[in-house]
Amino acid sequence: MSRAELFRTYMEAVFDTDKAAAFAAVRAALEEGMTPEQIVFELVVPATEDTMSAITKDPDANLAQHFMTAQIASEVTEWMLERFSQPPEVLGRVVIGTSSGDLHSLGKRIVSGCLKSLMVDVIDLGVNVSAEQFVEAALKHEAQVIAISSMMVHTATGENGCMKVRKLIQSQGLEGQFRVIVGGAPFRFDEELYRKIGADAWAADGISAGKVITDLIREVKP
Amino acid sequence: MTPLEILTAAATGQPAPRIPVFCNLLDQGARELGLTQKDYYAKGEHVAEGQLRMRERYGHDNVWSLLYVGKEAELLGCQEILYSEEGAPNVADFVIKSLDDIARLEIPEDISSHPAWSETAQCLRILKREVGATHPICAYITSSTALPAMLMGMEAWMQLLLMGPEDLRDELLRKCALFFQREVAAYRAAGANVLIYSTPFGCPAFVGMKRFRELILPWMKVDLLPGGVEGIVYYCGMAPFNAVIEQVQQELGIGAYYISPLADLAEAKATIGQKGLTCGVIDDIQMIHWTPEQTRAEVRRLCGIGMGGGRFLFGTGVMPQAIPEANIRAMVEEALGFGSYS
Repeated sequence: MSRAELFRTYMEAVFDTDKAAAFAAVRAALEEGMTPEQIVFELVVPATEDTMSAITKDPDANLAQHFMTAQIASEVTEWMLERFSQPPEVLGRVVIGTSSGDLHSLGKRIVSGCLKSLMVDVIDLGVNVSAEQFVEAALKHEAQVIAISSMMVHTATGENGCMKVRKLIQSQGLEGQFRVIVGGAPFRFDEELYRKIGADAWAADGISAGKVITDLIREVKP
Repeated sequence: MTPLEILTAAATGQPAPRIPVFCNLLDQGARELGLTQKDYYAKGEHVAEGQLRMRERYGHDNVWSLLYVGKEAELLGCQEILYSEEGAPNVADFVIKSLDDIARLEIPEDISSHPAWSETAQCLRILKREVGATHPICAYITSSTALPAMLMGMEAWMQLLLMGPEDLRDELLRKCALFFQREVAAYRAAGANVLIYSTPFGCPAFVGMKRFRELILPWMKVDLLPGGVEGIVYYCGMAPFNAVIEQVQQELGIGAYYISPLADLAEAKATIGQKGLTCGVIDDIQMIHWTPEQTRAEVRRLCGIGMGGGRFLFGTGVMPQAIPEANIRAMVEEALGFGSYS
């Protein structure tokens, strides 16, 4: 199978959320002599980017597809990373969690899976994360982006969520060091809501968050 | 006509002086009574009192018997709820912590005698006594395909739903459908007459059309067909579902549809037509930052789309606590006034 055919087969499998077919395509690539590094950087990363773009434009795209796409991409990436001859260079680093008082972790998982397959180092802070924890972790891990997921209106707009993260960044003189992105259902109902709570960006879904976050990393990273 | 009669007229296509105007002011009741959320939700009488005061103040048509959504998880063994003074309580203890717990999950034989039902029952007793003859009493009941998210977390449920093992997935769905059937019967027996069927997986934006047809629709039939669809309102947790309305009408026979603010209301109304009640729902997340005039304008826009031909209800979505009181007042006033047929 040619590289172009392998790419198309893998891409279709990811888009169709067919995990078995995606893994079969990767196995075929290994048998064709591609190295794990080539598979990640020439197959998985471009296919994830293309899939993100296609899903974002597809009016019939759905949450299940986002979940499965991110799951497949991150599992394939982890499988290949174990076989790398040396640790890969990462694009950047993100600390991610759900906002204070919010226990809904699905969006965070989709975003994390997507980012891992784009060679972004993801520090997962879990659920119900305080503003202080977000900022401390971003400093400790030298992250470029703080990603805050909120599924409930009061955790998205409340004083202990993104608004407090912004206040801490300002009071500690850290403006310019981090970008803050938010996501979750409330932001779909008011596309300007992210500005009102002090975020730099938002994403409508977990898959498009991958693209927005990598753009934010490039803004910050020298 | 009483609000209950106005609702019945709208649902059946009979003449009425105005549209029904529904509003869900749930957490606002605690502030009204000067209680913390935890203390407020500890007693059904607090919730009933909060509902009656909210209705008295704003003049909308309905009252709610819902304490908080996590009550359903408590009926199935949840031991911890996370309260917030800013919004709705969250389930903080998952009943299903590993797939082995699915076999151990027990569905109460008689929900009305379960200790976790007692405050809901008390709330319903008061609401029924005070306004049951004149006003609709709403209940919120989670579908079998959505309830597992509350029992094991959305992340774990999506994984089981989409990746299996299928036998465990189906065992959990069977138990959740049985719970739904018993819960809806308990609500009806206690006097609730508007039953919000919360089925977020019943919208294509969650699972796509193929999975909707092959996986979700059959389980919705298991939920609903034994007890019938009297009083049932199709609701997908504020997600748009226009693409499935026709199929839901044909296969489930549901008569009322709570349309997402993100959906095309005109398209929904055209699809539902005279076969059911179209509920036009305001984007109440934007109401946090709107002025009263912007709120009134949006009410007029929705009513302008939906009122023609009757069979229309004006409703709200999640009504966050952060909405200014002036906007709530403006919304209800405008819906009652502009929603007049005279």
